[in-house]
Amino acid sequence: MAKENVVVIGGGPCGIEVARNLRDLGYTPILLEQQSELGGHLRLWDRLFPEGVEARKVLKELTGDLKGVKWFTDVNIESIEKSRKGYTVNVDTGMSFQTKALVVTTGFKLFPAENKQEYGYNIYERVITNADLEQYFHTRKDPRIQNPKTIGFVHCVGSRDEKACNRQCSKVCCATAVKQASEIKELFPDAIVYCFYMDLRLFGRSYEDMYLTAQRKYGVRFIRGRVSEVSEDIDGKLFVKAEDTLLGKPMKMKLDLLVLMTGILPGDSTKQLSEMLKIQTGEDGFFTPRDTILEPCMAKDGGLFMAGTCTGPKTIPETLSEARAAAIQVHKYLSK
Amino acid sequence: MRERFLIGFDPFVLPFLLGMAFVLTYCIIGLIRVVLQLSKADRRKLAASLFKPANAWKNLRDMFCDCLIHVKLWKRNPKLGYMHSSIAFGWFMLIVFGHIETFIFVPKKAGLFYYPIFFRYFMEMENYSLRGSFFFFIMDFFLLIVLSGILLAMFKRIRSRFFGMRRTTRLSITDRIGLYSLWAIFPLRWIAEGFTAGIAGGSFMTIPINLLLKNFMSNPENITVAWWLYSIALGTFMFALPFSRYMHIPAEILLIPMKNAGLKVYHPRKGFALAQIYTCPSCGVCIDACPMSASRQNLKDTTVYLVRQIKRNNARRMNAMTEKCLMCGKCQEVCQIALQSYDIRMKIRERATYNVGLKYDYLDSYKPEIGKAKVLYYAGCMSSLTPNTGRSIKKLLSAARISWTQMDEGGGVCCGRPLILAGRRQEAAAMIEKNTSIIESSGAQILLVSCAICYRVFKEEYKLKGIRVMHYTEYFNELMEEGRLKVNRGALRYAYHDPCDLGRGCGIYEEPREALSRVGIIAPAEKERALSVCCGGSVGSLTLDHEDRIPITQASVQNMLFSNPDRIVTACPLCMKTFSRYSPVKVVDFAEALCDGLEK
Amino acid sequence: MIDFGYTLSKSNTLKIENLDDSRFKALHKLEPDAYKCINCGSCTASCSAGVFTELSLRKILLSLQRGEEKDYINQLQSCMLCGKCMLVCPRGINTRHLILSISKIYNTVDR
Repeated sequence: MAKENVVVIGGGPCGIEVARNLRDLGYTPILLEQQSELGGHLRLWDRLFPEGVEARKVLKELTGDLKGVKWFTDVNIESIEKSRKGYTVNVDTGMSFQTKALVVTTGFKLFPAENKQEYGYNIYERVITNADLEQYFHTRKDPRIQNPKTIGFVHCVGSRDEKACNRQCSKVCCATAVKQASEIKELFPDAIVYCFYMDLRLFGRSYEDMYLTAQRKYGVRFIRGRVSEVSEDIDGKLFVKAEDTLLGKPMKMKLDLLVLMTGILPGDSTKQLSEMLKIQTGEDGFFTPRDTILEPCMAKDGGLFMAGTCTGPKTIPETLSEARAAAIQVHKYLSK
Repeated sequence: MRERFLIGFDPFVLPFLLGMAFVLTYCIIGLIRVVLQLSKADRRKLAASLFKPANAWKNLRDMFCDCLIHVKLWKRNPKLGYMHSSIAFGWFMLIVFGHIETFIFVPKKAGLFYYPIFFRYFMEMENYSLRGSFFFFIMDFFLLIVLSGILLAMFKRIRSRFFGMRRTTRLSITDRIGLYSLWAIFPLRWIAEGFTAGIAGGSFMTIPINLLLKNFMSNPENITVAWWLYSIALGTFMFALPFSRYMHIPAEILLIPMKNAGLKVYHPRKGFALAQIYTCPSCGVCIDACPMSASRQNLKDTTVYLVRQIKRNNARRMNAMTEKCLMCGKCQEVCQIALQSYDIRMKIRERATYNVGLKYDYLDSYKPEIGKAKVLYYAGCMSSLTPNTGRSIKKLLSAARISWTQMDEGGGVCCGRPLILAGRRQEAAAMIEKNTSIIESSGAQILLVSCAICYRVFKEEYKLKGIRVMHYTEYFNELMEEGRLKVNRGALRYAYHDPCDLGRGCGIYEEPREALSRVGIIAPAEKERALSVCCGGSVGSLTLDHEDRIPITQASVQNMLFSNPDRIVTACPLCMKTFSRYSPVKVVDFAEALCDGLEK
Repeated sequence: MIDFGYTLSKSNTLKIENLDDSRFKALHKLEPDAYKCINCGSCTASCSAGVFTELSLRKILLSLQRGEEKDYINQLQSCMLCGKCMLVCPRGINTRHLILSISKIYNTVDR
């Protein structure tokens, strides 16, 4: 008997893990990815918190074993037809796939930092994002990073900000900031590193240790105050305005490098698919599952599953666990 | 023609007569009140303008065009224009010809108010004359005109969209009484004159009615009933008039000379403002125009309803509605009587009291060091949040080789407009004074301003001796015209948004468009220039919160996307910030757009 | 009394359970955003008047929430009402109306 097809949309860590598990459960997963490589945002990251595992190693683990998974890159979804038999997914390369169960793992996009003009990304020379910094950690090449002596990290850029049209916390940026602050201190031991935060939300196991190390070992200075605006002088030095809210004093400080911790927004294809498949989304734009506690991987429609960051910000391990859970749910659905 | 009755009176004229007497008394008392409320200077100004021939002529022309013909409504929507002018002008002509008839045929009765109105009842036709037939025809003709207007008015109540209006005003009870009695007057007149057409004569409208029910009609008892009804309708209308929107009919006659005399609003419900309040016809054109109408819940706070609350002197609602307003000035722009809602609201805001006063003595010691240059640039408070703007301006200035310096680098003194908008004009004087002294002692010739909000206050409230205040749209356009700033034309399509304070506030519409058309193609917005839609970010509104503003901004962005532009361009940092949150296309500042045309 | 060189100073402890918040409730009614602040300090950092004075809207609001009405209220006198704080507030608080409402309900303190 031929193995049954299951279409998975989105070839990031989540989609890959769903596909691998479905294969193990005896199906032929069809993994569709928009970009020219599998891996999603994991490809852009250098190390993962809390232990600093190399992102490439994780990605290699995930993509190293795709036997039995039919995967396609550089494909865009043209349309999806729903019938009683399931879904027909038509893609721009002319192919179309039949599936009884459809898994959506479209992930997230990072908040476009230039949308907060007051922080000066793409305007001032030495303002970069968390993604830029990860890239730098890997390549050690970025003209904007020239042996900085004072470095600032701005938490919550495009998160918890009504003016950025995103009220929600992006969950992972605080931990990322603490990780990156420590890493950059490792690279530039003489530098002074500041983290400007509103609330530090370090929620996971041993994340507190990471925080402690950043304080004790690396001497990262945590300032409770949100950066309100940034300016630049003729030498390219940055001036950052914030209030030290614990001391109750406004401060204006000179920095050589500013890192914007851009938050997590629903990916563009999340919006596209929500329209195509009439998947309910919340005010924040992420998919709303049938039941956020009991059935977080299932959409209202039978046969439609979702996992990973298309239902909200998540860490990599959380994403992978959800991917496995989704695979089980698909299996249960198809074996009925 | 001869009189039917020697006494020339019948009790049925009483409702009309009483109503007429009531309205006249009310209006005369109102007129005296309004005039007395004016300051001495204003009164003198008004009196002087009444006797100036040029002004007198203007008054007459305005009265004819606005009160009778409703020229502005014709421009807005011909159907709406016809509806109004047919009723107003038609009715006016009926009254005029009624009087002429009386004068010609029974000059001794011309002094009686009711005689020309009920002429057909009191007169009897002896024989056909050309002169008589002419009047029969004229009177029937204008009756037809009025009736057609009434028919349209009825239709408008059901389908306002047909007249280009999405929403119309919710009427008050007195408005309704006025409306229904007005609707009743002319059909009743038609019927009443139909009854007497056999005796007094008539033309193409009234004769057929008479012929239709010949026996019934010629019964004298029935005749009186019909005329009673006509008179009662007139009387009801007159009694309702002072308490309804129809007060605009007499009030506008007072308002026009006041406006032409150049009076200013000094109190929200006295003098000039009161005349305006009573002239508001509650047409509701301002409802659709108001940017707040993007949310249903705000409809009740539009200008037409504010006027109603001012009439009722409901202080709580008046304040709430005033504080909510974005002060974008669009309602004034579309208003048929140009009701100065902005000034009236300003005066309401200025009357609020606060326990915590404001003190700006700390500004005394502030003495910024400013270099000498021809152009002094004032960036304004918001500019530090839109660094691209400052950057682009500096790029353009250096490309044109202009000697310039900035007055508020690293933070300066606020221009004072946000404070004025909050009704605290007195307190704003301290800032105006401080900035004036900084600017005047700088030795600059041009004050360059990139914020529409600041620009308006510099223009309206500052008196800067020997210094030209220029918005950067004006200045850069001038530099380009003079050939000092050279740009290349690209293929980008720009949709230019007129910031409220720059467009409606200061009348600058052409310069930014001219300048932009040198670097790209202008993609018109659906509504622009004087009709441009506020971005929703205005500091004019005091109470609209963040959530309330979102639908306003979204509607405004939609308006800008009308011709599928590549960029939305604005010339105000506040619009820029507000738009960029919700726009699917890139929003850039005016200076940034001009930089697209600079050689890289 | 013998002067020992020190006096008993008033306790610094916040008496939160005896808090008379009637005025703050009135403020909340006038400006529903009064409880929305997360004390990020953006308003204070970007404040136009803050360049010249100690004005901190965050501190004023927090002290009023805690019933410490006299601590910072006078700072409000230097506000230019420019609206920059409204633009930077991540919670979308209508700060200008908040300031005007505080000015209506509370009084300046004579010192």
